[in-house]
Amino acid sequence: MPDSTTLRPSQKDVLFPVQRLQAYGKGLPVDRLPCVPIVGNTAARVLGVSVSSLRNNGKILADAHIAAYRRFGYDNIRVFTDLYTIAEGMGAQIRVPEDETAFLGESAIQSISGIASLRPVNPYRDGVLPEHIEAIKRVVQEVGSEVPVTAALTGPFTNASFLIGAVNLSRLVLKDPASVHHLCQLSLDSALAFAEAIFEAGGTPSLTDAMSSSSVISPKQFEEFSYPYLKVLADYIHAKGKTVTLHICGKTSPIWDKMADTGADCLSIDNDANLLDAKNKIGHRIRLMGNVHPSAIMLQGTHQEIRREVYKCVAAAYDNPKGFVVASGCSLPTETPLENIDAMLDAVREIGYPVSAELKEEIANNPLQ
Amino acid sequence: MSDNKEQIFFTALSDAVLDMDETTVEEVAHKVIKEKFDAYRAIENGLVDGMNRAGQLFEDEEYFIPEILLCSDAMYAGLNILNPYINRQQQSARKKVVIGVVEGDTHDIGKNLVKTLLDAAGFDVIDLGRDLPPCQIVDAAIAEQADVIALSTLMTTTMDAMASVIKILQESGYRDSVKVIVGGGPLSQSFADRIGADGYAPSAPSAVKLLHKLFQDTIHA
Repeated sequence: MPDSTTLRPSQKDVLFPVQRLQAYGKGLPVDRLPCVPIVGNTAARVLGVSVSSLRNNGKILADAHIAAYRRFGYDNIRVFTDLYTIAEGMGAQIRVPEDETAFLGESAIQSISGIASLRPVNPYRDGVLPEHIEAIKRVVQEVGSEVPVTAALTGPFTNASFLIGAVNLSRLVLKDPASVHHLCQLSLDSALAFAEAIFEAGGTPSLTDAMSSSSVISPKQFEEFSYPYLKVLADYIHAKGKTVTLHICGKTSPIWDKMADTGADCLSIDNDANLLDAKNKIGHRIRLMGNVHPSAIMLQGTHQEIRREVYKCVAAAYDNPKGFVVASGCSLPTETPLENIDAMLDAVREIGYPVSAELKEEIANNPLQ
Repeated sequence: MSDNKEQIFFTALSDAVLDMDETTVEEVAHKVIKEKFDAYRAIENGLVDGMNRAGQLFEDEEYFIPEILLCSDAMYAGLNILNPYINRQQQSARKKVVIGVVEGDTHDIGKNLVKTLLDAAGFDVIDLGRDLPPCQIVDAAIAEQADVIALSTLMTTTMDAMASVIKILQESGYRDSVKVIVGGGPLSQSFADRIGADGYAPSAPSAVKLLHKLFQDTIHA
């Protein structure tokens, strides 16, 4: 723990993130609610480097995330460039534009007949994973005593979609479930290997599983193809004595219970999900995190709109039984204005915690739909 | 009497599409040809009807992407058999849509879904693919004399490419001849308004409704 004479990441805060999260978890008063604008490649903009320079250079990736954390003072650093790092290590072709987020070019295999060629990753050797591990080490060394350092771990079902292509995988879900499980198992083995390396570097994995959304697969398919693998990962992280956040994009309300059943400690929900509903349905089981709109509000909104959205989120979930983290619904677009991220944190600072009697009364008098 | 018999075949096609049963669709489509029933009506009252029912189940959250994909596979299997037997006049009234995923994004499930539902709704859809430079989209729209450009992205990083398409359309003097609609996870109505698109569809079925609205339901007239 840094001593009190050390500079705060932001002069506007009283506590360091680890102090805030620890006290908040115990139900003690804190300076403000935890706040996590999910900063990804926007970190490159804070450091003033190109997006592609982060992806395969542990030092620059670390410097960018440290610089972003120090500028904004948010409560969690997530070392992340894109969802494809594990799939790339398994043979997927990733396209890396000079100054934009990388994306999937070609899946690792084109049909299930290629499955025998797939091997789980060695995170110390394959693709850009060694550089990501290096970045985690550096971030932990530099600021790990004051802020939790996590690294994104792509969920096995989502990774499977990068191995064989999302359309192919979607067909196999109905036509050849055994092969889907085979791809998920290979992806799980990779994820466990990377998770272990994240822990060795001093970080904690944070689960993100875009394709498991109810915007894509049915709750029943989630239960069969996503849940068992997410549960293994959550159990593994718990066995290491750490808590875990699970993010799934898009619609998720039909699978909230199952998401909580994975054992995840915090659900990060997107804008197609409603915080108030989530609180009422599963708030007694799990912490919630969300859900200021990443593009409509954070990228394009005015400071006033950002402030209003933060207030709306807080009004919906500040009293969530298992706690609440003000966050963006999903990763922020790279070009989100830095001042907008400041505005988000400033709104959370303005509200403070516990939420004032005045604000509570206002919330009670203006019930949300 | 023959109308009745015809309708039994059409219903079988519709049900087989809904049941994701490609084999049955092919069998029935071949019988439609053999019995010399009207191929156009078999498409409309059979395949398209089945796809519309599937689209409704998707909206009702009973079907999801995997089911819709297999329904669309079944529909296209039937279209491949029946299309050569429909006459040109029946095709000419259809509005032409060019659809694609903008540069920097290779997610095309959403786009494929919209294409399928637009096909089923009677639009003439030309699929440009994914990861498309804005110029290529505009060139294709002009070359095809398209009525609609439908653009999709799943990635926030590529949203600016959509704005570029509209800018290039304006510079080409073709903006007023074509409706531009956008959709995809990170977008919003306010984004569509800001870049000057004609409409925003939050989901695949709503893209069909949006186009019907933009053309004031003249598609099937």
